[in-house]
Amino acid sequence: MVQFLFLVIAALGLLTALGTVLARNLVHAALFLVAFFFTIACQFVLLEAEFLAALQVLVYIGAVAIILMFGIMLTRNIQGDDTTIVSAAWKIPALAAGLFVFGILVFGINNAVAPAGHSPWSESNMRPSIATDAGSSKATAVRREAVNNMARTVGNELMTRYVVGFEVAGLLLTVALVGAIALAHREEAEPDARSRGEQPARRASASPQPQAAGPSLVSSGTSPPR
Amino acid sequence: MTWYPLGAGLPFWAQQQLVELDTTTVIRWVLWLLVGFFGIFPGIVAYMVWLERKVAARFQDRIGPNRVGPLGLLQPIADAIKLIIKEDLVPRSADRWVHLAAPVLVLVSAFLVMAVIPFAVGLAPVDLPSGLVYLIAVSSISPLGIFLAGWSSRNKYSLLGAMRAVAQLVSYEVPQVLSTVPIVLWAGSLSLVTIFNRQLDFGWFVLSPPGFLAFVILLIANTAEVNRTPFDLPEAESEIIAGYHTEYSSMRFGLFFLAEYLSVFAVSCLATALFLGGGTPIPFVGFPASLISEDSTLSLVLADLIMVGVFLFKVLTFIFVMFWVRATLPRIRVDRLMNFAWKYLVPLSIINILIAGVWYEMVIRPGYLTFWNWVWGFAVTALLVVLTVYLVFLVNRKARARVALGSEWPSLGQVRTGATIGQAAR
Repeated sequence: MVQFLFLVIAALGLLTALGTVLARNLVHAALFLVAFFFTIACQFVLLEAEFLAALQVLVYIGAVAIILMFGIMLTRNIQGDDTTIVSAAWKIPALAAGLFVFGILVFGINNAVAPAGHSPWSESNMRPSIATDAGSSKATAVRREAVNNMARTVGNELMTRYVVGFEVAGLLLTVALVGAIALAHREEAEPDARSRGEQPARRASASPQPQAAGPSLVSSGTSPPR
Repeated sequence: MTWYPLGAGLPFWAQQQLVELDTTTVIRWVLWLLVGFFGIFPGIVAYMVWLERKVAARFQDRIGPNRVGPLGLLQPIADAIKLIIKEDLVPRSADRWVHLAAPVLVLVSAFLVMAVIPFAVGLAPVDLPSGLVYLIAVSSISPLGIFLAGWSSRNKYSLLGAMRAVAQLVSYEVPQVLSTVPIVLWAGSLSLVTIFNRQLDFGWFVLSPPGFLAFVILLIANTAEVNRTPFDLPEAESEIIAGYHTEYSSMRFGLFFLAEYLSVFAVSCLATALFLGGGTPIPFVGFPASLISEDSTLSLVLADLIMVGVFLFKVLTFIFVMFWVRATLPRIRVDRLMNFAWKYLVPLSIINILIAGVWYEMVIRPGYLTFWNWVWGFAVTALLVVLTVYLVFLVNRKARARVALGSEWPSLGQVRTGATIGQAAR
């Protein structure tokens, strides 16, 4: 049953991933991506990790997809009509990068270490029950705690075993945030510079009467009332 | 650091159990789906619309709907029939499938929120160990649906409404989520059932200074999340027709309507379950829940009846307050909307988490509630909360006083001379 569900969800995930790559319309591609994120959340549920599934939906659909949509609307043609054709020169490097990531994943998954006292997980196709209380091994107790209280387990692991990766990711996000602010902040200084008599060339060409309207201020498109 | 052991000293009905997928569970879920999600909740929504029209009419010295049935009680049914039999129009240039999917996404998001609310003992549809994160996750799908609705309509008013909606929802989601962090800290769990049980032991969470501040922040953010006045900019009729659902007609508009009122109901349920002790009528007393004994079904049914009644009464109070606010307050200005979220609510809720830590150490850490602990905790945290609110408002007022009046408003800046504006901006 679980295996059948897994196959269905995995097939759907592959289809939506293909749709993301092949869709001509940018917003449609983003929608396929949302559907793909959702199938990943379903996979988390199949792995008894509902906390991660909820986080997947929250972070990827609730935040990343929305930011993506905003990005499309603010940078491109607003209806997303531009066809998303990648130039041919990029196809070979993209393929190489994809194959490289795939190879790393195959290598990593096949060399994953099983917990002590268990056979390698890639050879087992049944999950041991966690409902039994008596006579269960220590690994089962750990798993029961992880399933019943996943938020705490994830938090503990992030703060102890994976703390370096966690901090590095946080630092990276901070750098990205500061960079984004630095990029976006450049526009702010313009009205200030103008009042000192400097006319930025870009705005001046858009204004109908660039020289006469000295103090034409924030909205440069309209002429000042006289 | 030791946490209060969950499930150790709790009564039998409060212990978390793994759900076995047997026939009883399946029947229970099907019943919830058919009776609750397809029957009772839409019914409540329909009569919320009627109630809102009546309440708004009273506020404006009118009578409200009174033609269909006694007191206009059949009006929702007439409205539903009207919506269903109207022609379903799709604009020719609209993106057909996205146009179709958008209202469904919004509605599904509103429905899924209801799935973890504990209405009474044993009356939560599903008790997820991480129910609160689930709730936040599914409610964050609705901005996507709203965005798609605005985008697929190919109408500039729809697009404007969608952009406003997404900006507003994303901004107010931050204080909304941050204001629930104290609750998680105090309950030591993300499960809404456990949160309810902790409130039996420690009183309603609203009855502590940091809890009260978080409650107020949650109320404001909730009102913004469901696009109600004074935060109804995404569908401001006087500016952008109807915002993102301008191009929707017939039952597809009805779905948006249903989703909006359903999420009003859902956020009211959420506030009740998180802060107001769910269905308990008196704080600090486990009154109906303590009556339940293990071997009598009758006691469970009786206690649940009382609790559902009290729960619905609290939810109705919230809904009435939302109607009241809508009937009295004008719409907020768009720049103030963002300022209010990022400069007031977010700092307040972040500092509030620290104060909640103080409350945890003083009152909840011992594991049982004592009067003097409570009084001392209340005194200390009340001082901190008042200080915080004063500080945040003071800093904001100082920051605003440095900017000349109206200098952030382009249309006003036009009639001034360049020099004054330049100085003001600095």
